[in-house]
Amino acid sequence: MTDYLNEIWRTRFFWMSLVRMDLRAKYRGSALGMGWSLIQPIAMTTVFCGVSATLFHQEIASFAPYVMTGLTLWSFFSQCTSMGCYIFHQAEAYIRQHPAPMAIYPIRLMLANTFHLLIALSLAIALSIWGTGFPGILPLLSLVPSLLLIMIMGWSISCLLGILNVYFRDVKHITEVALQILMYLTPIWYPEQLLREKGLSWLVNANPIVPFLTLVRTPLLTHEVPSVEMYGLATIIAGGFFLLAALNLRQRESRLIFFL
Amino acid sequence: MANISLKNVSLAFMVKQDSGYNLKDILVGGFFRKHYRMPKQVQALDDISLEVNDGERLGIIGHNGAGKSTLLRLIAGIYQPSNGSRKVAGRISSLFDIALGFEQEATGWENIRFRCYLQGETPRSVDNKLQEIADFSELGEFLEMPVRFYSSGMRVRLAFSIATAIDPEVLLVDEVLAAGDMAFQAKAFERMRATIAKAHLMVMVSHDLERTAELCNRIIWLEHGKVRQVGSAGEIIPAYKEWTRIAASTGKAKPGGTVLSAA
Repeated sequence: MTDYLNEIWRTRFFWMSLVRMDLRAKYRGSALGMGWSLIQPIAMTTVFCGVSATLFHQEIASFAPYVMTGLTLWSFFSQCTSMGCYIFHQAEAYIRQHPAPMAIYPIRLMLANTFHLLIALSLAIALSIWGTGFPGILPLLSLVPSLLLIMIMGWSISCLLGILNVYFRDVKHITEVALQILMYLTPIWYPEQLLREKGLSWLVNANPIVPFLTLVRTPLLTHEVPSVEMYGLATIIAGGFFLLAALNLRQRESRLIFFL
Repeated sequence: MANISLKNVSLAFMVKQDSGYNLKDILVGGFFRKHYRMPKQVQALDDISLEVNDGERLGIIGHNGAGKSTLLRLIAGIYQPSNGSRKVAGRISSLFDIALGFEQEATGWENIRFRCYLQGETPRSVDNKLQEIADFSELGEFLEMPVRFYSSGMRVRLAFSIATAIDPEVLLVDEVLAAGDMAFQAKAFERMRATIAKAHLMVMVSHDLERTAELCNRIIWLEHGKVRQVGSAGEIIPAYKEWTRIAASTGKAKPGGTVLSAA
């Protein structure tokens, strides 16, 4: 176990440089470069806010940060899911050349997405300060452990789907469909209350992404530190996914190469 | 002290005709048994014991599918043995599939860094080697361009220059003696010789028997994943040539074995 973590640490220059390259490659040749990371959530938030304000008569000032946090977290998780299916295929040439720990490939994907998440999230924080005022130091600091949980969740999802897709090539198609469905069932750009009022509370409760949304939204919108129960729930979910991913990786890592 | 120690190592793996399983196989395969293509078990290595010590230059020979490259990858730690134990002391540097694994969107310079980091270098040690690698590859201004635009020859040049810029303890080489165009090949062979001289221990796979005899002081002859004979180059290579000549005239020199051909 310690040996494995040491190996990950020893190869840090390798995967960190790949993350940097992924970030640079994404915007290579585009005039606005990193600016697109800001423009995309702004544009989406504007559209959804406009629609929701008309349809559900939401108040823009508090609803805009709600939508933006929802969108940024959703795009983090959906990227970790859809691109997670390809991580080991994408790294095949490296895997065939050098016995580096496989855990670094999901780390690569998770970190690149975390970077975009951080950009969009700071924008959401700015928006919430504009809309509802400064939330206070403690609520802002409460975002740090939340973010760690979100990163663990992101790594676990991509690792799990990466392994699954190596053995079972339909996984990438299944996740595409599942993501589309889940996007409409998750309170990203409509208020969570809407589902609960319609008697669909179970749908919100069963959604593994909702606790993470709540962890980020609570401090920004209500200016309170999220409840211990909410942290506990998110820890259980992230921990469960992490264990599942880590155990699978441990068991299959050495045989994975024969299926690539 | 570099050392390789393999004890009763076997490697078997399942090979599916298409890789992975898919939904159709499972659904359709369940109803119509004959359409379901069962994965095949391949016995790539069979009970191999081997001890390589500091200073040795070991060459692996054998016909196609005998398990030469598989053995090399097992020594490298890329394949884990299904049975038996593998112990390697010393930092491993492996030269195989070197033309693969470039990040297409990254420039030549960036790719030099990725490769070096993968081989265990640090940013500081790479800084010292960067210029030397660039000079040896003779790629000049092309290094500023994404690797996507390189010809296959240019890729091999770059890969070879990076792979041999290391100070290896355990050096594993698979058929990289033919790198790039004629002019580069002569240069590459000299470089290869120098790298091998620096290594504490070297294991190589090649079909070029003359070169193998020249570079190695010990030869292992594999057949169907088993060791057929081990000895000095002067002893094994003539025996192998003689066997190949007889096998060719009797039509026995088919690649692989009965099961191995499935791989």
